[in-house]
Amino acid sequence: MSGAARTVSVNRVDGRLKVTGAARYAADQPVERLAHGYLLLSTIARGTVRAMDVTAAESSPGVLAVYTPFRSLALLGSGTPFSVGHSWLPLQDAEVRYHGQAIGLVVAETFEQARDAAALVRADYEVRPAAVSFTDGIPTATDPGPFMGEPARLEFLADGVGSIDEALAASEVTVAGTYQQPGKHHSAMEPHACVAAWQDGALTLYTGTQSASLTVGTMAAALGVEAAKIRVVSPHVGGGFGNKIATWAHPLLAAAAARTLGRPVKVVLTREQTFTITGNRSAVRQTVRLGARRDGTLVAVKHQVWASQSASGGIFESSAHTTSRYLYRTENLHLDQKIVTLDVSPPTWMRAPGQESGSFALETALDELAAELRLDPVELRLRNDATVYPGRNVPWSSKHLAECYRVGAQRFGWARRNPAPGAVLRGEWLVGMGMATANYPGERFPASVNVRFRPDGDVSVSSATADLGTGMWTVLAVLGAEALGLPVARIRSDLGDSTLAANLGAFGSGATASTGPAVAVAAEAAITALITLAVTDERSPLHEVPAADVRYDRGELVTSDRRIGFPELLRTVSSPGVEATGTAGPGPEHGQHAFTSFGAHFCEVRVNRWTGEPRLSRMTTVVDGGAIINAKTARSQIVGGVIFGIGQALLEGATVEPQTGRIANGNFADYLLPVNADIPPIDVHFLDHPDLLFNPLGARGIGELGTVGVAAAIGNAVYNATGRRIRDLPITLDKLLD
Amino acid sequence: MRIDCVVNGEPRRADDVWAGESLLHVLRERLGLPGAKNACEQGECGSCTVYLDGKPVCACLVPAGQARGREVVTVEGLGDGDLHPVQRAFIAAGAVQCGFCTPGLIVAVHDLLARTPSPAEEEIREALAGNLCRCTGYEKILTAVRLAAGREHES
Repeated sequence: MSGAARTVSVNRVDGRLKVTGAARYAADQPVERLAHGYLLLSTIARGTVRAMDVTAAESSPGVLAVYTPFRSLALLGSGTPFSVGHSWLPLQDAEVRYHGQAIGLVVAETFEQARDAAALVRADYEVRPAAVSFTDGIPTATDPGPFMGEPARLEFLADGVGSIDEALAASEVTVAGTYQQPGKHHSAMEPHACVAAWQDGALTLYTGTQSASLTVGTMAAALGVEAAKIRVVSPHVGGGFGNKIATWAHPLLAAAAARTLGRPVKVVLTREQTFTITGNRSAVRQTVRLGARRDGTLVAVKHQVWASQSASGGIFESSAHTTSRYLYRTENLHLDQKIVTLDVSPPTWMRAPGQESGSFALETALDELAAELRLDPVELRLRNDATVYPGRNVPWSSKHLAECYRVGAQRFGWARRNPAPGAVLRGEWLVGMGMATANYPGERFPASVNVRFRPDGDVSVSSATADLGTGMWTVLAVLGAEALGLPVARIRSDLGDSTLAANLGAFGSGATASTGPAVAVAAEAAITALITLAVTDERSPLHEVPAADVRYDRGELVTSDRRIGFPELLRTVSSPGVEATGTAGPGPEHGQHAFTSFGAHFCEVRVNRWTGEPRLSRMTTVVDGGAIINAKTARSQIVGGVIFGIGQALLEGATVEPQTGRIANGNFADYLLPVNADIPPIDVHFLDHPDLLFNPLGARGIGELGTVGVAAAIGNAVYNATGRRIRDLPITLDKLLD
Repeated sequence: MRIDCVVNGEPRRADDVWAGESLLHVLRERLGLPGAKNACEQGECGSCTVYLDGKPVCACLVPAGQARGREVVTVEGLGDGDLHPVQRAFIAAGAVQCGFCTPGLIVAVHDLLARTPSPAEEEIREALAGNLCRCTGYEKILTAVRLAAGREHES
């Protein structure tokens, strides 16, 4: 196996399709005889639908069917947070579990007819009291049981220490803080959509998904159809961020309706519907207590988390287990995760699930400790850099966090920071600098890739993975070109189709790290197959040459006296192509090391002294992510991650109405996302330390790392600018006014 | 109702259009032009931006009937066979990620540079204030505008 991947900087191979409007997303697929479905959503948070009056809707122009819990589409089994995103299947009972839950589907000739008819449906509810306030629910918090392979309450104590509180009490210096953030929504630009078309008992489902293969399994189980009869097609996904892993209600209902009606059915969620149908990030409260010696050495870390969970199940924020668990060296560590179960829509994975919130609390607390100790925040972190994974006693495969701090501080000009809070005034702006650490685990799963030499001179490199804007179309082309010694332009990548080589998809920042190594394996196997064809086919000019005497060189087969390109060979022997599938996955070495990407953020903010308005001035992010495959798309991934953190810090948050459980700002006018004026220049620098223990490419994932720590860096800079410690996100100007 | 209009230089007709349908819906569902995207349906994100009689509009907010007898240009109609310099600049600058906001941004930038061939930084930011992107962080989009402006100068 060759060495680490070479970094290149190439344009996105899917760029042309996307700038011309030719890329086909789920809702763009041209399908004949299409009918349109529109979901009906509950308008109460908890209770039972007693009856639904669908008479007017059914006689509305163009309406083909109105499905409700009382005239349902049969779905089999039950749901899980991993399959459909929650613990139930839509329309199989009359229970209402949260405001905005699917309780019906109207199908009509056009989308407008379906939506118009949906407005005519009347639901009669038996309303039960609902718990929707996260704050009010804190006293009811429960232990979620073990997760991520460890107990929710996890403790390591030094010999002779009786409890974490005892360790804290014995510490020379302690700080403590409670940190809060509201629930958040992924808000990918593409609202969830699907087109379900049946033919001869087989389903083709066009849907934007991070995992075509998981979607197949979910659909097959619910529809009672063999997995082999289901094809999921998802070539382009308009952003995912974790929200397009689970299948959710709409494809299940669309496919069931299409089967019943004998027509293809398309369901596109409105932006408002995406807020409740498709999951969110938990609201989180955290308490962090740090105990340290005067020199800054951490002695005790106690990190308690309360995350919102849905009564329908879901993936809650695991803030401490993903950050304080291993980020710093400490003799005494105590993590405690609790969930607050509410009658709200289910949480799910959202970019850097756990780390996003956990880093805000931990990295703010570190800054508070640095202030207390009058120690530079970078120096404090350097003094507590963990060299082995706490409690497992294994080293990291490759960890260069200290270099991230040093390089970042240098590039940013950290030495110019005035440590005294509120001391720098430029015009009417108070100016401050802050920093924080980023961490995200290196995830890798088994993946297969198919490489096919084609008679037209191109080579197909394909896998059932996904490109959410993450660059996988291009990564396949770049790695295929590298493995085969051909220009990128001669590689035809293909993905987003469950019938391609097996692949779990794109999540956990693991797509490149998992799929990339399989490209080389598949290429090698395809070359072997090509040589075999060349020496065994009677029509081949290399017929009966010993295979060992033939080598592959940049698209040609070479012997001591001959050289033939693969297109010519394939045409000569009338072959439609030669292909092979290769698989790669983590090996036994994965138990012997910890795999983590690290980074450091440095930022400068200004806060208006009269209005309290916080503005981000500039940012430097240094990334230790192993080898970088394509510098252009990698940089985009980090910047995009940072933007998510800026949204977390300054703008984003769902407002749940306490009386109704309705998300009051569930649309793009009211749920604030960063706009271009919110984003300052962002300097991204990659350290180049290939992690060859992790995989042969040396590349760990970087899709989520950029988000982690940004909110803390910004909050810490706001403190440096103003002397105000804001522990309640988002940091809005009202919190900075006197 | 029947709608006759010119789309991307060609006369097009849509029949049986309901009065409540948006121009975006007619373009996407009736005329086979899914380039303009539906992402918010309230004029907040700009993903559906198209030209109507030479002015950029959010097609989701324009009742389809208003397009009768008028000229519409969508992202599909900008290239003229080859890529427009704005489209080339988006690719070269790495301003495209998931691509869902891209068609609207291409039209918005096309309009900006047609009006202001070498826009100042603030003019670029202002012109794109109505376009949301969740992936790129905007920076590369601004780079693409500068790149396209430079190229248009040369030509």
